[in-house]
Amino acid sequence: MRNRWGQLALHAVLICILTLTLAPFVFVITNSMRTNSEMNHAFFGLPKFGRQMFDGYAYAWEVLRPYTLNTMLVCIVTGGGVVLVGSVSAYVFSRCKFKGRDTLFLAVLAFMMIPGVLTLVPSFLWVKKLGLLNSHWVLILPYLAGGQVFAIFLFKSFFDGLPGELFESARMDGAGHLKLYWSVVLPLSKSVIAVVGIVNILGTWNNFLWPFITNSDAKYHVISSGLYLMNQSNVSSNFATMFAAYVLASIPLLILFLYATKPFMQGVTSGAFKA
Amino acid sequence: MVIVLGLAAWALWPRAATHAGADVHDVKDSAPRKYTIRVAPGIYMPGRRPQDLGKPLDGLRDVTREFEKQYPDTRIEFTEAPVGQREYLITQLAAGQAPDIINVNVGDVWQDVQKGWYLPLDKYLEQPNPFIAKGQPGSVQWWDQFKYQAISRSKTAPDGKVYCVTYDMVETGIFYNKSMFARLDLSVPKDWGEFLKLQQKLKDAGVIPFLVDKGAVADWGVDLVFNQLYGTIVPGLKLKRDPSREAHLSRFFDWDELAFLNQKGFFTRRDPRFVETFRILKAWRQFFEKDMSSTDLTKAFVTQKGAMYWTGSWQVNRLVRDPDVGFDWGLFYLPPIPKSLSRFADGHPQCVIGGSGTQFEVTNSAFDDTHNAATSEKLKRTIAFIQYLTIPKNVDRVVNEILCFLPNVVGAEPRPELKPFDTILQRDFANSKWLYTFDLRFDEIMRRMLDLYINNGISEDEFMAWMETNVKTACETIVRRKQIDLSKFEPKWKELAPLRAGVQELPSEH
Amino acid sequence: MSIKRQKLVSTAAIYAMLTPTFGLLAVFSLVPFVWAFVTSFFDYEVGGESRFVGFDNYLEYLHDPTLLPSFGNLLFLTVFGLLIVSTVPLAVAKLIFSLKSEKARYLYRVLFLIPIVVPGVAGMMIWQGMIYNDTGLLNETLRMLGREDLTRGWLSDPRTVLWAVVFMGFPFAGGINILIYYAGLAGISESIHEAAELDGARGLMKFLKIDVPLVMSQIKLLTILTVIGTVQGFEGMFILTKGGPGFKTMVPGLWMYMNAFSFQRMGYACAIGVLLFLLILSLTILNMRYFRSSEELKAESA
Repeated sequence: MRNRWGQLALHAVLICILTLTLAPFVFVITNSMRTNSEMNHAFFGLPKFGRQMFDGYAYAWEVLRPYTLNTMLVCIVTGGGVVLVGSVSAYVFSRCKFKGRDTLFLAVLAFMMIPGVLTLVPSFLWVKKLGLLNSHWVLILPYLAGGQVFAIFLFKSFFDGLPGELFESARMDGAGHLKLYWSVVLPLSKSVIAVVGIVNILGTWNNFLWPFITNSDAKYHVISSGLYLMNQSNVSSNFATMFAAYVLASIPLLILFLYATKPFMQGVTSGAFKA
Repeated sequence: MVIVLGLAAWALWPRAATHAGADVHDVKDSAPRKYTIRVAPGIYMPGRRPQDLGKPLDGLRDVTREFEKQYPDTRIEFTEAPVGQREYLITQLAAGQAPDIINVNVGDVWQDVQKGWYLPLDKYLEQPNPFIAKGQPGSVQWWDQFKYQAISRSKTAPDGKVYCVTYDMVETGIFYNKSMFARLDLSVPKDWGEFLKLQQKLKDAGVIPFLVDKGAVADWGVDLVFNQLYGTIVPGLKLKRDPSREAHLSRFFDWDELAFLNQKGFFTRRDPRFVETFRILKAWRQFFEKDMSSTDLTKAFVTQKGAMYWTGSWQVNRLVRDPDVGFDWGLFYLPPIPKSLSRFADGHPQCVIGGSGTQFEVTNSAFDDTHNAATSEKLKRTIAFIQYLTIPKNVDRVVNEILCFLPNVVGAEPRPELKPFDTILQRDFANSKWLYTFDLRFDEIMRRMLDLYINNGISEDEFMAWMETNVKTACETIVRRKQIDLSKFEPKWKELAPLRAGVQELPSEH
Repeated sequence: MSIKRQKLVSTAAIYAMLTPTFGLLAVFSLVPFVWAFVTSFFDYEVGGESRFVGFDNYLEYLHDPTLLPSFGNLLFLTVFGLLIVSTVPLAVAKLIFSLKSEKARYLYRVLFLIPIVVPGVAGMMIWQGMIYNDTGLLNETLRMLGREDLTRGWLSDPRTVLWAVVFMGFPFAGGINILIYYAGLAGISESIHEAAELDGARGLMKFLKIDVPLVMSQIKLLTILTVIGTVQGFEGMFILTKGGPGFKTMVPGLWMYMNAFSFQRMGYACAIGVLLFLLILSLTILNMRYFRSSEELKAESA
């Protein structure tokens, strides 16, 4: 009996916390369908049913739409690249013995500690010198360089936890590093790949400043820059439009997330997140 | 999964005639065009609906099509740019990839003029506008086309050159709820004393008397009150005469004059007028909204929670077009401060503090075809485009499509709803602009500390200490950067001594 | 193939496999960092001239009016952030973990994870515009309760602003942290719990004695990430308060940003950035050295 009440109490507490956590987002969704005038008259309230509910969405979509494909392209290439580069290096750091390994690994980690603002202008002037401005590469390559660091860290913790016998027996069969990596490590790492991929895509998706300054050509802009522009310009004073834009910008991530929930959760629970 | 992908594909499939953020012309128009001029037109961006009101704009696009017919080798491309962001400006201009024509506040332009990022426009402004018929204003000097000369000329950078074409005019005014005033039996105040009494009555009636943004207090508020208190002593302090600006800006202090006066003890704790300027603002603050940072002022005014709203002419667009405004509103300007309220004031009318809503600068990318402004063909077309835009008929089509700004070109009349601002703009121009004259660090500290001071975050002594250091540092910095010897003003200063002789409470020099 | 030769090939393979990582880091991270480091010894603005000034930028920062408030704020934010990140998500994870139904546990974990799809900037703007705003959730609720007198500008009142900033994101439960702790808890074997119960450990005592030490690895990681994020971070302050009112919520990162882009003092900004980098580096090293992970704790108690 006591146990059952205990479980109920647990549910009650969790639902309270969950409600508080999700409330702002619910609020954004409902208000994205209310006009300014409705919000002026009552702060809390449900949208009035009618065509005007989607005005904000129509306008926000018009602004964000051109950037969508481009954003997806950059996100997917960067995410894939980070997984590939990160896992290869992590494999080396985790499973190969060579001189200076720990020092090199720490050196890689140290890059996580450089403040982003510090290198914003130098990075910009440098990619300009490299002739990369106004291209997809100016987004993908620096994102790859920066994003791989945390990926290496996660992959390494995960690979460290894999049983050593696996490698021993494969090596007995004469497998080289590439073979070990490809046929032993990768198949076991699907879930942690999902985590690294998604965390990276989230980061890429949300970055607005770098795309903005490196691409004067609007055809390389990304969604978050569009959001940012809407916010900056005096064009929009309409909350519905702003909120609708937030919702729209989150939908692709939500879809991605819904498809990858399982491996993602397995990945986080696989023990890669520790120090 | 299939459904999601299908939907996504349908939604994302590129449609003809829409394009990433830029405005692209009909597909038919495929004649090879040698020069592409990129323009960041600010609020007039074709296809957008400013403030989410009204129809999408197309005035600028129509004008542009006609221009392109005259220049078959030139294509105009519009783009949106976050020009309020310094990191955007700095990187784009340093890389030479900013839009060719850009709309940036002069405060930001002035920081960078010595770097060659912007093109000085004096040469063009002093020559005729080729699109203007003989005998019309502008056919001798492009300058003559501009209506509000004092404000347009006040956009001169500290190096003495003009980097922008002031396309339209924005002016501030106090919007008031006429219906509410009638209900409470109140009338428009004639001086500062009546103004304060009026606000007290409104406060007693349970409404917010005066809605104002904290940025506006630091910007417009400081300059106006400063002008009220220093107005009478200007003749004894005015050190510089600039013939080209004399007719319009004879009472305006430039940065070097301010720096020299600061050496003489002005704008310090020992200058009672300076202290009083901020004291008046602080005493006024009790009638503003409680939260000066996050209150949605327009909403408070529209929902009749506030009685008066000090804001710019752009608000007309909203008030006229918002179906929710169920009351009559009117406009007045800040009333003068009488001698009875401050011993430094003499009750002269408040000055004007307007500026441009849109000003066009030409950037270094406008001549990237030859990398030489003297030989560039692209630059010729860029300038021609701005000149074409300033034809009165075209100004009318672009500026008057929305109810935000007043055309700054002779021959293009403001919309009737904006007429009251035209009257305000006839006033004398301010003595100074405290924000935007020095560097942005000065602006930042002044804004922050004034905010703290009027909201009881710091005492008057602490505030004045901050201001004193801030002014001093800013003056030293600008003198060092521009490498100017302030002692050149000494003779003039001595010459003006008789004019200062009878004046009470001037600061002591040490 | 001789063993020596095999070893050589293998070493070559190792370096070949590391090439992409170090190539990318060298080109896109190291070069800009070195540039910034060198610039910190110059008086430099983008597009302008530069002049060597030695350590002047560093020395000037010691007298900067924002130095004290910003490092005070940084300390407050870090301590508060660490306190939160090591308690709330852990507690929620434990609550979820204590549920009997496997389905319910899964569902809660998914639901708590959903906020990660909302862009961070959007999240902050929601808090600023919908909750702390003059007509936001807090003030409107107070007005509904008839307590107009308690309403205030949460982000502009010098007395409340810091608290308003740190409470953004309340109840701090959304996101990936819960899952990370959950992973730690799931790794604790049932037998340990049973043994503890036999010893008479109950409720909170049991949680503190058994669970907490075993998720130390996770706490350690999140501690490091929080410190890095807080010291580097300024976007939050930039969007919410711009470091104001006055300098009440100024942080070094934001001041660096303003110096670099608004005040035309790239060299000075770089000096602040280099100091921040050194600060993060030393805090992380301290953390690594003196903070015990669960594995080490296990090894010690064995």
